[in-house]
Amino acid sequence: MLPNVHEVSLSNGFRALLVERSSLPVVASTIWYTVGSRDERTTETGLSHFLEHMMFKGTDRYAKGEIDLATSLMGGSNNAFTDHDLTAYYFSLAADRWEAALEIEASRMRGCTLDEAEFTAEKSVVLEELAMGEDDPWNSLHQATEAVVFQVHSYHHPIIGWKEDLERLGVGGMRDYYQRNYGPDRAFLVVVGDIDIPKTESRIRELFEGIETTGGERASVLSEPQSSGERRATIRAPGKATRMAIAIRTCCMGEQDDFNLDVLSCVLSSGKGSRLFREMVLDNQMVTDVSTYNEPRLDPGLFWFAFELLPGVEPQAVEDCLRTELQRVSDDGVEESELRRARIQLESSFLFEEETALDSALKIGRWEAQCQGGYRRLAEVETRYAVADNDAMRSVVQKYFSTEGWNVIHSLPTENGES
Amino acid sequence: MKLEIGERTLDNGLTIIAVRNAGVYTYAAGLVLDVDMRDESAEEEGVGNLIGDCLDEGTAHRTGVELAMAVDELGGRLLGNASGGTVMCPAKNSTAALVLLREMVFEPAFAEREVKRVRDEILQEIEIEESDPRQVASLRFQKEVYGVHPFARPARGSAKVVASRGVDDLHRFHKKWFAPQGSYLAAGGPAEVETTLDELEAAFSDIDGSVPEHVRPEPPVMTEGGVDIHLPMDREQVHVLLGHPGIRRSNPDFYALSVMDHVLGTGPGFTSRISMRLRDELGLCYSVHAAISSSAGEEPGTFTAYIGTSPEHRQKAIDGFLAEIDRIREEKVTEKELHDVQKYLTGSYVFAFERNTQLARYAVRAKRFDLGFDHIERYPDLIRSVTRDDVQRVAQEYLRPEHMVRVSAGA
Repeated sequence: MLPNVHEVSLSNGFRALLVERSSLPVVASTIWYTVGSRDERTTETGLSHFLEHMMFKGTDRYAKGEIDLATSLMGGSNNAFTDHDLTAYYFSLAADRWEAALEIEASRMRGCTLDEAEFTAEKSVVLEELAMGEDDPWNSLHQATEAVVFQVHSYHHPIIGWKEDLERLGVGGMRDYYQRNYGPDRAFLVVVGDIDIPKTESRIRELFEGIETTGGERASVLSEPQSSGERRATIRAPGKATRMAIAIRTCCMGEQDDFNLDVLSCVLSSGKGSRLFREMVLDNQMVTDVSTYNEPRLDPGLFWFAFELLPGVEPQAVEDCLRTELQRVSDDGVEESELRRARIQLESSFLFEEETALDSALKIGRWEAQCQGGYRRLAEVETRYAVADNDAMRSVVQKYFSTEGWNVIHSLPTENGES
Repeated sequence: MKLEIGERTLDNGLTIIAVRNAGVYTYAAGLVLDVDMRDESAEEEGVGNLIGDCLDEGTAHRTGVELAMAVDELGGRLLGNASGGTVMCPAKNSTAALVLLREMVFEPAFAEREVKRVRDEILQEIEIEESDPRQVASLRFQKEVYGVHPFARPARGSAKVVASRGVDDLHRFHKKWFAPQGSYLAAGGPAEVETTLDELEAAFSDIDGSVPEHVRPEPPVMTEGGVDIHLPMDREQVHVLLGHPGIRRSNPDFYALSVMDHVLGTGPGFTSRISMRLRDELGLCYSVHAAISSSAGEEPGTFTAYIGTSPEHRQKAIDGFLAEIDRIREEKVTEKELHDVQKYLTGSYVFAFERNTQLARYAVRAKRFDLGFDHIERYPDLIRSVTRDDVQRVAQEYLRPEHMVRVSAGA
């Protein structure tokens, strides 16, 4: 599971992880900043994501639009995403010209222009993106759930931010945030593809060695205290469907429980043979689909259950059914055959996550950014899943899924059921 | 770029194709049968979609749960659709995966209880779609643009027809149309081409059956101007679609239109005119695009311009689209625009061939549209041969503002 990674470390704290993969003449270049919505203070929510947009709007070397144009002329693609714990930018380019991506990343690491007029224009785009999300009932349910689960920790607010914060935000605040968080000491590069490692290392040193550091540490955040009881909330969404999310705070990425919860998630809801699918979709026909999702983060993350209820089914019935199934795991454990199938699926999904150079770079980068011990922990994956045994399944259910930890959010149709 | 690719036509009329993707550990195979929604009579509306959703609910040999568990044991994914199905798995399990694909597509059980459940799920999806303004706008747009053509209706059928659908309907349609004759089975993975072909042949050579002659619809006609529909819904945004019937993939102007699309509305990042104007300069939206070539198929696709925006910007967005459409018809694109798009298209196409599923899909398209497997090698020259005059000519010929259907839904 761990590819052959060549690691480069510069004196200013910048690091690069390089993987040669020559089956196709393509290269994926990704840069990861250790800043995300988790690092935003109250009143500056949404800044990480908004800044990600602005990173394409001009630097000291590339005028507005030139990053996209240069990428296009090279026949490549670029994009970016912001998460709770990180912000990542990536390029996919042909192998004979990919180094232009390094030049762009070096330029915008400290040299993003953050022009006021561009800031104002892009704010409208971000507000439209926010409005688009508000029209998505699953997105609203997801945000409402996080806001209920995390009452102290900054995972409370959505990645896109609160509308009120975004509206008030000025370019000065963004410049300050950029200076605080974007620099070689807060970033690392992952390059996978048809590259010459010594040549790539040399170019990285040329471009990044001289960039000044932020000099600051990553923002410390408040820990979420233990919940003293279950929490419930109801939101309304247009349409006629009733949805329900149940989220439970769990562990950090890379802990043994993270692997245990991955296996449990497969046993519960992966495919038609899974426990919840059989119970809730096939046998009792309560929901159209069921999904569970283990989402570890830098700080303790979440285990999600999500349901879309069939007409006439009460949310309480689905909740009761879930409790019964979890109690079964707690009391009796799971079958060996279920564990085997779950491990096979998880190992297979790791293969699919490496099908392209970009897939591979994104996987290495995410582990490096979010997991204690970084990308090297990929070497342990198989072993960790192998020890996720029956005792481990019972143990995680008993540890995390007791009633006090439940956060149950119902999304009910608007009063009259009209859209 | 040159692919390692090979094909055979089996005695039962099935064309099998293998594409090598060296360096990966995964495998994908897709079966594309000679049937689609055009083969559904008015009474059969949506039956293909229901069949596609029911294929993995059990076969003559296994229940749905047993089939799912067998797929899990391979670390695979098996999906049915209205024209066949696909399977993906670690490459070492390809032989066993093909057995499951074959069984699912050609020997489905269509058990009463499972069909009823899937049918109810589709009915619920339809209800949910009816509250999603983007879907509402899109379905109405299809209806207005395609008129009496089968593509005017949603592939999943209307709620009324789906609700009346029974197991017998599924068996009847499946027996009639799910046959190897005239169909394609393509696989991508790390094995040698001949090895993959041998494996495909061994798995599918003893299936028989042919399909009746197809009745093909008349192409959609341009509506007279003035179709402008707004469907009010209580939302934050409004979703706007503009367009009219488009082109077939066999159209010789496909490449010139592809270049035009990239100048006008589908450029990478925010390099297209529409994206630069409506998103970058005016800040009207997060999502905007326009294209005619991407929907081209055996039947004409559509020219579609889409924007999701705040309601106060609706008219501004429509005006912005129309202004850019007029501009590309009236003025030649600049040398630089043409050059930039040609550089992009001739440099980026390699990324459409990284995944096994992409390779398999390409192989089938190359056959269905008679492009030849060497199309990938010829593609850069086809794009480079497009001139500024070509772009203006095709813009004038294929973009027809006077026939534009406008549909919006939302705030």
